[in-house]
Amino acid sequence: MSENNQAQAVLRQHAETEFAHELVALREQDNHARPPNWQLSPWAVRTYLLGGTLKGGIEITPKYIGNPRLIEIAISTLATDRALLLYGLPGTAKSWVSEHLAAAISGRSTLIVQGTAGTGEETMRYNWNYAQLIAKGPSQDALIASPIMHAMQHGLIARVEELTRIPADVQDTLITILSEKMLPIPELNTECQAQKGFNLIATANNRDKGVNELSSALKRRFNTVILPIPETLEEEAAIVDRRVASLGRALELPAEKPALAEIRRVVTIFRELRGGVTDDGKTKLKVPSGTLSTAEAISVVGSGMALAAHFGDGSLTARDLASGLIGAVVKDPVQDSVVWKEYLETVMKERSAWKDLYRACKEVL
Amino acid sequence: MPHHVFGIRHHGPGSARSLLQALKALQPDCILIEGPPEADDILALASHKQMQPPVALLVYAPEEPQREVYYPFAAFSPEWQAIHYALSQHIPVRFIDLPVSHRFARDKAAEMVNPPDEPVTTITDITDVSLSEHDVLIRRDPLALLAEAAGYADSERWWEHMVEERQDSTELFQAILEAMSALREEVDTHYPHHSAEGQHEQLREAHMRKCIRQAQKDGFTTIAVVCGAWHAPALQILPAAKADNDLLKNLPKLKTTATWVPWTHERLSNASGYGAGVDAPGWYAHIWQATLQPDSSNTLTTRWLTRIAHTFREQGLDISSAHVIETVRLAQTLAAMRNRPLPGLTEMNEAVQSVMLFGDAAPMQLLQRKLLVGELLGSVPEDTPQTPLQQDLAQEQKRLRLKPSASDTELVLDLRKPTELERSYLLRRLVALDIPWGKGGDAVRGKGTFKESWRLLWQPEFAICLIEAGFWGNTLAVAASNRLISQARDTASLEQLAGMVHNALYANLPEAVDSLMQRLETEAAISSDMLNLMQALPELARLLRYGDVRQTSLEQVAQVVNGMLTRICIGLPNACSALNEEAAEAMFKHIQAVQEAINLLAEDEFRVQWTRTLHILIDQQGLHPLLAGRCCRLLLQSGVLDDAESARRFSLALSTANDPAQAASWVDGFLRDSGQLLIYDEALWRLIDQWVGGLNADTFQQLLPVLRRTFATFTAPERRQMGERVKQGQGAMPPVVAVVSDRDTTRAAAALPLIATILGLTA
Repeated sequence: MSENNQAQAVLRQHAETEFAHELVALREQDNHARPPNWQLSPWAVRTYLLGGTLKGGIEITPKYIGNPRLIEIAISTLATDRALLLYGLPGTAKSWVSEHLAAAISGRSTLIVQGTAGTGEETMRYNWNYAQLIAKGPSQDALIASPIMHAMQHGLIARVEELTRIPADVQDTLITILSEKMLPIPELNTECQAQKGFNLIATANNRDKGVNELSSALKRRFNTVILPIPETLEEEAAIVDRRVASLGRALELPAEKPALAEIRRVVTIFRELRGGVTDDGKTKLKVPSGTLSTAEAISVVGSGMALAAHFGDGSLTARDLASGLIGAVVKDPVQDSVVWKEYLETVMKERSAWKDLYRACKEVL
Repeated sequence: MPHHVFGIRHHGPGSARSLLQALKALQPDCILIEGPPEADDILALASHKQMQPPVALLVYAPEEPQREVYYPFAAFSPEWQAIHYALSQHIPVRFIDLPVSHRFARDKAAEMVNPPDEPVTTITDITDVSLSEHDVLIRRDPLALLAEAAGYADSERWWEHMVEERQDSTELFQAILEAMSALREEVDTHYPHHSAEGQHEQLREAHMRKCIRQAQKDGFTTIAVVCGAWHAPALQILPAAKADNDLLKNLPKLKTTATWVPWTHERLSNASGYGAGVDAPGWYAHIWQATLQPDSSNTLTTRWLTRIAHTFREQGLDISSAHVIETVRLAQTLAAMRNRPLPGLTEMNEAVQSVMLFGDAAPMQLLQRKLLVGELLGSVPEDTPQTPLQQDLAQEQKRLRLKPSASDTELVLDLRKPTELERSYLLRRLVALDIPWGKGGDAVRGKGTFKESWRLLWQPEFAICLIEAGFWGNTLAVAASNRLISQARDTASLEQLAGMVHNALYANLPEAVDSLMQRLETEAAISSDMLNLMQALPELARLLRYGDVRQTSLEQVAQVVNGMLTRICIGLPNACSALNEEAAEAMFKHIQAVQEAINLLAEDEFRVQWTRTLHILIDQQGLHPLLAGRCCRLLLQSGVLDDAESARRFSLALSTANDPAQAASWVDGFLRDSGQLLIYDEALWRLIDQWVGGLNADTFQQLLPVLRRTFATFTAPERRQMGERVKQGQGAMPPVVAVVSDRDTTRAAAALPLIATILGLTA
């Protein structure tokens, strides 16, 4: 199998591979000042993330749809050698932004530490090749650098996913790295000093705040950017539409692409319940305990499509959506079902064009 | 050139600084300012030592005080600085805008043609136009065109960046003049004027030119004209006087009066609906302060961020100096990325949120109120002319013959008399404005609801309160409404809101009632406290059922009641789970009250909804037996449960397997306050009778203490009657007979003659 075929067989490509042509084009036309060891200037990184058209008509696709100011803050943070913490609800594109930032700045998004409850200090610092260690004793050869240490040595961007899931004592390893920009190796009586260009992007989600909250000492070393839920109905409907289309392709669902109207209804319900107020701003609503992120809206439409394709006539109807909707909204069987019933009776019932959805939801309840 | 035009932006600190520099350089012998000429007489008060900005010039029509225009000034307003400069240099200063009296007359004439739905409150530069949306936007904010050309999304930012935050102001006014000339040409060709609006603008500019000519005629040689940047080109070159004079001839007039009133930073901000408002008066005040101390070594950015850190610390947030340092760095990098020489407010806010607040936007609200807007309240000298509110009160006092007096007097009002009813309104409106001239106002005990008792005591500080209350409105009714509406925005308690609705109703403030009902609806929607909802319902139901002498819009009440009831019905089963004795008692009362409210409303829709809820409730696991008993009773009465089903439930609840205390509680719930009912309601009596009859001796003995607990709460005569009914056997005999059979004929005969006399039966 040729290399090209191999690359195509991969289920998901790295950002720097998938968008390699865009990165090259940006680098060619980039004439702003670059911070040391950056592949692109901050302005070019901004264009890479937010999209635009370059001279010569090369189209840069937008990677992040939303408030451009947030991306500007993120890039400026990395340029001032402060670490960046992307924070937000599950499903608000944190890891996605982090991957693309790393790809654009360092040309490499793979220096990644996945935070879990079992992440140990050696995953953050360095590990030992024990055969070497026993044979020759502690030496540079026996040392296995972690992705973070590797990034320090080469002046690259390292990524830590789900920072708040890492136990607090392990998190604190980062303090020295972020403030002194060095990693002591007491076993060898030496240290690893970060090269210019090194920085760290961490992601964490709001809902897990209580799991292992960051110590204030660590918190202080991060600038935080909260990635919000999409601002307008149009924006969110567009995101859902795009993702659903690509999901349908990936899963090879025979159902036809759902009408935008159906997507807009789902997105409207999500937005209204999340925001606690109807879209016309006239009626207040109670808010359910779930997050109701855009990602969940995508999965509601996705599962509706699967239902329609396999058990229905292939076109998405209210009945196909109802069960998914309830599953997404009612996470707590007592409190949330009150919220949902109130929503059905006070909002959905009143909308004449929503009768089918109202009936379908009443049936499932 | 005999006159110099300075185009400024109202409330721009940069404009103010540049203007002061320019004035000092020019040394004019007369200053003309865009403002109402009616206020010329009280201009001198501006330098009074008790005058503290923010203040506003209020021009109003004394005969129709709802016609009013405010001209607000802050310390950083260029006009304010120009006035001060003139007063300190002892040179004449005049206002040259079109007199407000013409505008009032024009508004009034327009209203004659199409009467407005809402009272007219004009704040300067508010326009009402019926063009396409984009044209309106351009007309309203012509700078948007320039900002767009410069790549800014928002004209305020652009102006701030280009003018207000500029450090070097040489030739600034010349540049503004040129920019505005080009802009006006563009706008006039591409965006047609709304006729009335355009006409008014022409009039204003004609009048300003006329005043400039007048000043030249009066012999001044170096005249400084301070006006909004938009008008600058029109005042630069003076055409022949005739055209202007023709335009201004025979304009209608309405009598006006001007005075100063205290103002707040909050009302200067855009959020208050002020057309020429600014986003962040506090930030502008900060820029202005920095201007006053130019030699200070700290930069604007550092000082502002340090102030933010202090504000947060006062609120208990831990912000270290290191935070401030990092915030400054991020703000500067952001500014560089956006190609700006200095971080603006946006950059600083974003940096603060990102570095100091862990990305959390909520604490930014603290800044909004404390720093960005600022909590500054201005003051005006004591010898300021009377405000319209003071005059309104004086008029009302005269009309209703209710003189303020410093001695404590008692007043009983008979609300059936129109004058006295209006007195009650007056006192209640004052109370709503926090001026408790009259205290009490409760219904006089024992004399029905149409009499109120008040204690009157006028305190001197009320006069000051009245001046301060002036910014709520020009008449007592308007001011009290506005105050209540604004208070309602700050509270989320349903009980308080319901109380405020009550107050507003009794003070006859229909507008406030409407808006309060809206608030009530909103809060009811998000309230998860069922007790609160159930508490507020009966009062509203009464209002809905009996209507309201004060003509409240019943539709709105109906809507609120409907929404509340739906929510109560959905939420009640949850609210009733796991209640202790005390909570169950409270819930018992509320359920009873809601039942009564529903009986009162007599709407089938409500009743069906409610009984369905009770039905769910009655089968709920773990429902407190007191409530279960009552639900069963209510359902029996409404005919949803038949006798057999009720009997089954009754015996189920009193099964010996149950905890006696629980069983007792159930019976209590079922029968409480129903002694009389039990005696006279055949069905109820039979139900219990049959149940008792079906018990075997042992069980009966076991249950006796339980039953006694409820029956002991009935009054002695009730118990006696019940006993006698039982004695008659099986409830076969109607209870009335049972009672009457007890008579003593001899004693009854003795009373007969007297009764005959009373009834007039004896001849």
